[in-house]
Formats: sequence, C-alpha cells, structure tokens
Amino acid sequence: MIHHSLKRKVRDATHRLMARSWGRTGKGIVALAGVGLAGGCVQVTAPERPIEINLNINIRQEVVVRLQQDAQELIRNNEGIF
Amino acid sequence: MTREMKLMVAAALGLAMVAGGAAYAYAYQDAAAQLRASGQAGEQADGYMGVVGSAPANIRSQVEQINIQRRAAYTQLAQQRGVTIEEAAAATACQIFAGRIGAGQYYRLPDGVWRQRNGNEPVPRPSHCG
Repeated sequence: MIHHSLKRKVRDATHRLMARSWGRTGKGIVALAGVGLAGGCVQVTAPERPIEINLNINIRQEVVVRLQQDAQELIRNNEGIF
Repeated sequence: MTREMKLMVAAALGLAMVAGGAAYAYAYQDAAAQLRASGQAGEQADGYMGVVGSAPANIRSQVEQINIQRRAAYTQLAQQRGVTIEEAAAATACQIFAGRIGAGQYYRLPDGVWRQRNGNEPVPRPSHCG
C-alpha cells in the first residue's frame, strides 16, 4: 500500500515537471513563430502616383499604320469578338 | 410506353439539342455586335470594349469575356510582328472604328467621353490611326 502511494507521488511529480517544461518550450515556439511571421511580412503601400488611364501610351503611329492589313485579317478571323 | 412514343420523345430531344446548340452558336458569334447594339457597351480607341454608364453585371461580364479574348488575339499578333500588345490593339481599333460601329452605337476616343454615332455619319478615327 505504501509502495503504491509512493509510486503515484513520483508519477504525479513527473507529470508536473513535464507539464511545466512543455509549457516553457511551447511558449518559446509560439514566440519564434511570431518573429518569423513578422520578419516575412510583405509591406504593401499604395503607389505614389495615381493610376492614370492613357490610351495613347506606348503607341508608335507608324507601327499602327503598318499593322492595318493584319488588323483587318484579325477581325475577319475572329468575328465573334469584334 | 409504346415504341412510337419513345421514338417521338427521342426525336424531340434531338431537335431541341440541335436548336439549342445553333442558338448558342449564333449568340456567341455575335456577342460583340449584340453588346454594341444593346447600347450598354461600346468600342474604345484602345481596341477593347467598354461598358457605357452603369450597365448590369451580366453586361459587364460579357464585355470582360470579349476583352480577354481580344487581348489573346492582340498578344498573338504582337508576337508575330514584334510590336507591343498596345500597338496591335490600337491598330485593330482603327479598323473597328472604320467599320464596326453602327448607327446610334457608342464609341470612346482617348478623351474618355462616350459618344453615340449619329445616324450614318462617319465615326471619327482615333488620332493614332494616322
């Protein structure tokens, strides 16, 4: 009987110790994960200039004129979308 | 069910499917023309369609679908000719403005204003068309 209760006391003490050490390790892991997440954050900021709609951007007029034949064929071959 | 009835049902089903398919093909083929005719979408000088005013969601999504396909076509042409996608699109816009906008339909020049083609008066060409 004495032997039995002694065994239980030892077992309980071991459990408490494990719980305490796990608690500490667990907090450590959470803290580490937090640092990792903060370090990996991508900062998204709004562009400095407003987005402008300019239909004439990047267009060389001589290229547009040269492409007229191709454009005509493009429309003919894709009736549904033109 | 008699043999004749079964045959009739099968025939009716077949007919409905053919008719449905034809109607779908027709609607799909003329999607851009129908959108222009609806007055809720128009042609832009950049080679894409745009929504006129506050069109319902189904019109907006149809316009988007067409523009996705147009962009694919422009991309292909641009790669073939070694030009930018914007140039291929703008070149096609010249042809669209010259021959695809019907009476009373909408177009938008680089000034961003939607205008309606007045009867059969010619549509002004975007300045980049030369």
